Amino acid sequence: MWIFILRRLAVLALALLVVSFLVFLIPYLGDTDPVRALARARFGRLDLDAAAIETLRIELGMHRPLLVQYLDWLGNAVTGDFGNSYMSREPVMEQVWSALKVSIVLTLAALGFAFAVAVPCGSIAALRQGSAFDSIVKSLNQAFVAVPEYWLAPMSILVFALYLGWLPSAGWRGPESVILPALALSLRPMGYFTQVMRASMIDVLNSPHIVAAHSRGLSVRRTLIAHGLRNALLPVITLFSVWMAGLLGGAVVIEVIFAVPGMGRLVYSAIVNGDLPVLQAGLVAIVTFAVLINTLTDLAYTVLNPVVRIDNAAA
Amino acid sequence: MLANQTIMQHQVRPEACEPVLEVEHLTVGVPGVGAIINDLNLTIRRGEVVALVGESGSGKSMTARSLMRLMPSGISILEGSVRVGGEEVLSLSEDSFNEIRGSRIAMLFQQPHVMLDPTCTVGAQAGEALHVHQHLSAAEEHERVVQLFRDVGIPEPEERMKNYPHQMSGGMAQRVMIAAALSGEPDLLIADEPTTALDVTVQAQILQLLDRKRRENNLSILLITHDLSVVSAIADRVAVMYSGEIVEQGTTDEILHSPKHPYTQSLIHCALLESDESGQLYAIPGNPPELLSKMPGCRFRSRCQVAEKWGHPEICSRVAPPMVEHDGPACCARCWVGASDDMQAQAIKICQSATEETS
Repeated sequence: MWIFILRRLAVLALALLVVSFLVFLIPYLGDTDPVRALARARFGRLDLDAAAIETLRIELGMHRPLLVQYLDWLGNAVTGDFGNSYMSREPVMEQVWSALKVSIVLTLAALGFAFAVAVPCGSIAALRQGSAFDSIVKSLNQAFVAVPEYWLAPMSILVFALYLGWLPSAGWRGPESVILPALALSLRPMGYFTQVMRASMIDVLNSPHIVAAHSRGLSVRRTLIAHGLRNALLPVITLFSVWMAGLLGGAVVIEVIFAVPGMGRLVYSAIVNGDLPVLQAGLVAIVTFAVLINTLTDLAYTVLNPVVRIDNAAA
Repeated sequence: MLANQTIMQHQVRPEACEPVLEVEHLTVGVPGVGAIINDLNLTIRRGEVVALVGESGSGKSMTARSLMRLMPSGISILEGSVRVGGEEVLSLSEDSFNEIRGSRIAMLFQQPHVMLDPTCTVGAQAGEALHVHQHLSAAEEHERVVQLFRDVGIPEPEERMKNYPHQMSGGMAQRVMIAAALSGEPDLLIADEPTTALDVTVQAQILQLLDRKRRENNLSILLITHDLSVVSAIADRVAVMYSGEIVEQGTTDEILHSPKHPYTQSLIHCALLESDESGQLYAIPGNPPELLSKMPGCRFRSRCQVAEKWGHPEICSRVAPPMVEHDGPACCARCWVGASDDMQAQAIKICQSATEETS
């Protein structure tokens, strides 16, 4: 087990190294000179003369060879220092860290809710294939998957915040402000989770060991709980981790509409403003989390699936 | 006809033992479409091993599933009666029938590995029937499973209980299934090809184990197999299935040494790897009919080599043969050749009147 975890951590380190180099290169890939980008962000002007730009370049150390700059940047990044924001001039790491916390809360709330609804609904739909319940679940799924967030978000604000006045319309103050954005964010994954749960439960219910369990006198419900759920959950767990990694930095629309200070909005505004240090740190944080979540998923898999567990112990 | 490869001594059982399972006129199929199993009659007495033999697709496994009421979806019992220990069970609700499954009738399957939940320890699965039927505490259940594992020949039962199915060999997994099946001390064990997927050496061990349990516990076994050497080793009686019907029943001796039905005769030729006149290995010509198809006359007619040589082949293709008793209902064959002259005369009359109507 420990060897398995160590091996995963080594993969994590390697992935981060590769990503860090790519992220470091971002400012040099575009057609704008990073020094000019900084000058624009800081002074709001593009018409600085060449001499001033060169002074700024030497001040930032950007005249050195690329590899030296990378190692320098990497050395700082490892200690959590990604420099200061071009816009606010505050340390980047603090901004990223607070945005990351917001995003984790929002994503977990949304996906946790989606999961909690999808598992029972998918299971019951699988158990009662072709019933009215199954058809209702199926059409709701299709609706949830198809509804775009940029429509759903304003509509939910209109109904729950402005018309009914139950929840705050935007911002990030207290638990009640999590509900609307999390709900709006949860519908699409909920649709996918339910579909996968239903399909995988149908698969499991058709497998021979379910018949064998019935033959021992177990009721349908007991068989489902004892021998169906665990097997059927495996693909949903995988999907969960994919969504988790995706939503951490990818909930841009929801975060912008609800004014949630999360990673999506942070990275989005960094791009718009050309705030390169924030962009770099944000991307590194998102990738780190995605790989971490993948590792956690693999661990969850080994707990749920003994076939994988024993193989890993042997490795 | 078949060399008696008895690996165990048969015990001659008194016919007087009470029946554990009585099946009458059981018809199973797709409602509105047709029958897969047609008018099946079978009685199994206490301590008796009855073998159900036939080609693949003859409806043997479906019979087993129907007796457990575990048919695939879409298939249901259309008519008939199944009595377990004298009690009619087809009319029971699903919940009431769950109390019979695993406690009075238990089942073994062909591939023990896929019949065990891969995410669950074998100990937990073997203890399930105890948990459901006898409401034992966890400690008592554990104790019983250790005993059961030891009894069915699983070494180091305490350790093995913690294993997952993929850590076990096929033979060991089948022993786990046997322990699970016997945990509720059933009267009847339905064993659907329990040794087909196993090595020959392991097969003998498993058969020995089943034979020992039937002696010790007076267990009745419905053994489904296509292997006649297994039949000769363990079965007291044999029922031969063809295309969803039982075509012949009798004691193992009668069936293997003087089969009445042409299909049984062919089956035994095949099992003995006999050659025909040209030196080719004998095979039954043609294929069995589609299970759901309806046909007049005998379902074996198109493959039957006796009908051609017999005097009235037209009866075979026109009128379904009755079950002809040769020695009471326990020894009978569904074939016109053995029928009495009266019955044959009646059938010929039916044929003639049918011909007149069409002409």
